[in-house]
Amino acid sequence: MNDLVQLASLAPLLALAGAVINGLFGRNLKGNAPGIIASLAVAAGFVLSLIAFFGVRAGGAVRVNFGDFLVAGDFKIGLGFHFDQLSVLMMLIITGVGLLIHIYSIGYMHGDDGISRYFAQLNLFVAAMLVLVMADSFPLMFVGWEGVGVCSFLLIGFWYRDLANASAGRKAFIVNRVGDFGFLLAMFLTYKAFGTLDIQAVNAAAPSLAYGAAILTGIGLLYLLAAAGKSAQLPLHTWLPDAMAGPTPVSALIHAATMVTAGVYLIARTGGIFANAPGAAATVVWVAVLTALMAAIVAIGQTDIKKILAWSTISQVGFMVAAVGAGAYWAGIFHVLTHAFFKALLFLGAGSVIHALGGEQDVRKMGGLGRKMRVTGTTSLIATLAIAGVPFLSGYFSKDAILGALLTSMPLGNYGGQILFVLLMLTAGITAFYMFRWYYLVFAGEPRSKAEFERAHESPAVMTVPLSILAVGSVVIGYVGLPAFLAPNAIQEWLAPVMAHVDFEHLSTSAEWLLLIGSVVVAAAGLGLGYWVYALGSGALAKRLGNTPLASASRGAFGFDRLYRSLFTEPGEGLAEGVASLDRDVVDRGMTGLTGVVPLLGRLIVLLQSGYVRAYAFAMVLGVLALAVAAALIGVFA
Amino acid sequence: MISLYVVLLPVLIALLVLLGRSSAALVRGLAFLGGVGTFALSLFLAGSEGFQGAWLPRMGVNFSLDATGAGPVLVLVAALVMIPTLLVAATRVEQNAAGFVALLLLAQAGLNGIFLSKDLIVFYVFWEATLIPGLLLLGMFGGDKRRQAALKYLVYAVAGSMLMLVSILSLKALSGAASFHITELMIATPSLSAGVQTWLFVGMAIGMVVKLPLWPLHSWLIDLNEQNHPSGAADVLGSLYKVGAFGFFAWALPLLPAGAERVAPYLLALAAVTAVYGALAAISQQHLKRFLAYGSLSHMGIIGVGLFGLHLAGLSGAIYFLAAQMLSTGGLFLVAGMLYHRRRSFMLKDYGGLAKSAPAFAGVSLFLIFAYIGVPGLSNFPGEFMALLGAFQTSPWPAAFATLAVIAAGVYGVNLYQRLFQGPTTVPTSDLSALELYVLVPFIAGVLWLGISPAPQLRQIEQQAALVTIQLERAVDAADEVPTVTLAGLTGGEK
Repeated sequence: MNDLVQLASLAPLLALAGAVINGLFGRNLKGNAPGIIASLAVAAGFVLSLIAFFGVRAGGAVRVNFGDFLVAGDFKIGLGFHFDQLSVLMMLIITGVGLLIHIYSIGYMHGDDGISRYFAQLNLFVAAMLVLVMADSFPLMFVGWEGVGVCSFLLIGFWYRDLANASAGRKAFIVNRVGDFGFLLAMFLTYKAFGTLDIQAVNAAAPSLAYGAAILTGIGLLYLLAAAGKSAQLPLHTWLPDAMAGPTPVSALIHAATMVTAGVYLIARTGGIFANAPGAAATVVWVAVLTALMAAIVAIGQTDIKKILAWSTISQVGFMVAAVGAGAYWAGIFHVLTHAFFKALLFLGAGSVIHALGGEQDVRKMGGLGRKMRVTGTTSLIATLAIAGVPFLSGYFSKDAILGALLTSMPLGNYGGQILFVLLMLTAGITAFYMFRWYYLVFAGEPRSKAEFERAHESPAVMTVPLSILAVGSVVIGYVGLPAFLAPNAIQEWLAPVMAHVDFEHLSTSAEWLLLIGSVVVAAAGLGLGYWVYALGSGALAKRLGNTPLASASRGAFGFDRLYRSLFTEPGEGLAEGVASLDRDVVDRGMTGLTGVVPLLGRLIVLLQSGYVRAYAFAMVLGVLALAVAAALIGVFA
Repeated sequence: MISLYVVLLPVLIALLVLLGRSSAALVRGLAFLGGVGTFALSLFLAGSEGFQGAWLPRMGVNFSLDATGAGPVLVLVAALVMIPTLLVAATRVEQNAAGFVALLLLAQAGLNGIFLSKDLIVFYVFWEATLIPGLLLLGMFGGDKRRQAALKYLVYAVAGSMLMLVSILSLKALSGAASFHITELMIATPSLSAGVQTWLFVGMAIGMVVKLPLWPLHSWLIDLNEQNHPSGAADVLGSLYKVGAFGFFAWALPLLPAGAERVAPYLLALAAVTAVYGALAAISQQHLKRFLAYGSLSHMGIIGVGLFGLHLAGLSGAIYFLAAQMLSTGGLFLVAGMLYHRRRSFMLKDYGGLAKSAPAFAGVSLFLIFAYIGVPGLSNFPGEFMALLGAFQTSPWPAAFATLAVIAAGVYGVNLYQRLFQGPTTVPTSDLSALELYVLVPFIAGVLWLGISPAPQLRQIEQQAALVTIQLERAVDAADEVPTVTLAGLTGGEK
């Protein structure tokens, strides 16, 4: 079985091979060939991930080592993969959801003149993402970590002839580099503390340091900075809404289902550190909960069909990060899983709508589309209900697990766990509200733009079949994580062997029931309020609400972009300009003047006008000879 | 003997090129032969037997070359880079291509000498001699302001070298070493007091800092790159010729460890400043070659951080980075030359949207830019990572400060790509020609090779890096011993 698991090491290589084929020979490929090749590469990766999954289930974790990567004395970084319960689950999500999105892309990108470039970059992304989750050391993980950032940059700016798209890609890359700076420093500090960068070894060694030691807290906060960059958490969340400039399937795969959950994975993977650094862990939860709440409020005020979903993603990833920060690693990963289904579905549904309307993305010009796009409308409704937390759909179970974790996490108790619980519960209600708005404005009610409505048509089967599969997943996938007091919780048990231990208070069964019912009430309140405002209110109420200060803050996304522009971008540009002119006008001139030889030599040039360069060269030769002679003399007399 | 051949073969080919200068075809053929031949030799260099020849035996100078440690790695990567560079010189230089090719080959010979010599005087002679072809390339083939650039280059180099020479000569005289050979010197120099070592180290350091280069002694590099021949071939050589780091690594640090201990913190601070300063200055450059020069200055800062952190991983990483940076920096200078070939301009404002009409050009350039800014999996990452990690272990704050350059590199890297290749198409541009593609393929291959499989080269470098750390430990032990002895003497009576 071990050998079979090791076979899964080929998964990233196959995706890489697909990228190379499309990248180098794409121009010779006709029709759907680029998409089919890319999909096959990911399909093979999915099969390999399944093999690895069953292998790990039968025989536990497997490590593969392919030799050394970096060496210098005691400093040794291997090139190896670690297949365990966590990494194979992530592999299944990446290749499974990735495969559906690859297939969907064949339809969505049909006829684009950059289609082979598109699939090359999408495959490259899958390869990098797999390396990220399979790596057994931090530096190798960082290879995948920056690799997905590179692919994200490429795909956001895919339609690069519009500078706005290219600039959105640039912004994503730069903000992510701020996070990567944190990742690098975290690795440097990790090595200082533990003398190794092997992830398993670090997790094993972390408890041997004092509980809450400053160095552990420092490492934890630096990994949080890294996670905030990749997972678009405060204060590094500003790139994700702009990232919607990329093709919609890219938004579904990279900016919803997989890459943005890398921060969650990072914290879960380094649980040994966070479980022993309660201060850092609590900071993680606070950052995440505030992000979730802020982004949910912003989502209400957006009018772009994809930007609403982007802010929703920031908010939902906040739920996941909060879970892993609270020590409920399984709940965070569970929400990664369910979110991968319903958010990918929402994005692909949005893509189907944009595709049908020839590029229109303003929800104010939509409405009633569910009548003309049955499959897209129905599957989007399922996803909306799932994310809103309607009972028995997937989002309900994973969200409830996270809320419960915030309430019961023992280490978090000293850091305002109950306040965090209330804030996140509130966020859950807002989620139901903005998602109802999203669905209603797009698919229900009366068409607000006749022209757009006339144009609308259902997308081809290559797009609707993936939608349907994701819809089924959005309904059933939650049953792998039923509340433990009701039924066996499969995912918690599955992940238990690889997760760091954090203490939780035990809730009585009645408290558990209360929590379950409470979250139903919150979801119902959010949906009901949405119905009241948007379906019954005939617009007047929505307009009145839209005049409140909170609503204008929501529309302006709390002004972070403007703030960062005046706080970082402009001073940064000024600093760069300043350094450049300092170098030109002060350092260069100053050093030249300081040597004082230049004017003298300048006069010398006049003397040696003829072929002055050769004169220098001659002088140099003479100089070297003189040195040799001088050296000889000193050698003799010394 | 191979270590001798890699120095002699380029010289020999250079002479043949000059003799056959009347035939362009012959010059091209010889250039290719010289590049490939030296590369082929370099492949068998590591671990081959060294060469010893008497030169000035009375003063303890022997012509001694040796293929252990980091030298062969640098020679090999330089040889890989030189193949396409010679090809560019032979085809893209209109006037006196033979002279250009010959100078490149002579410079390569000098570099190989620098990397392989085990005798300090031989090292110094190569160090100085290699300046000449570089200067001639600038003076004979440079742009309008080549005079000022050449003069500046010369002033910096000579001023630095003078102090270095004084230190070198005093080193043997004061320590009483039997010869200038590295092993003899390493036996003798620990006897020097820490104070003397410090002065000698400072003398050597000034010459080496100029050629690292570190802020504020870097201005020559920027002007040199700007004024060099527009093909970029001479700039590739420039990227190989930043040998200051190697001088520290192979000579100053192991020979004068007690001096290094004292001076390194200051150099480390300068290096950290250089890393961030260069990256910031790159962001706002409008001239493509100045842009690359500042980016490269930032890399040199990180190399300095790795060196002066005095940690084994950092030292190894710094030298690995020195070898690796030749690929992305050199490749991008040739890309700049190819752009100039199309538009007769190095100003970024004259470009934009090229990806539409020249997709392969855009793809290759982006690949090199990603390598240049240290994306992992590509050539600059292993060295950059280890340099910073190593320095962080001994001096966290300067290393953390230098790591800020990573963010700035992200900014200038994607800015550069965007301004050249993205946005609305300005004027349609021809894609890479077959020749240009052949020229860039070795760079791509090298970037992948050094990015994916660094361990074999790192092991070679480690042998030599360990020398430095061992010497440093000895120096620290020696420093500890003196007070212990004195204390024992003082307290002994009371016990």
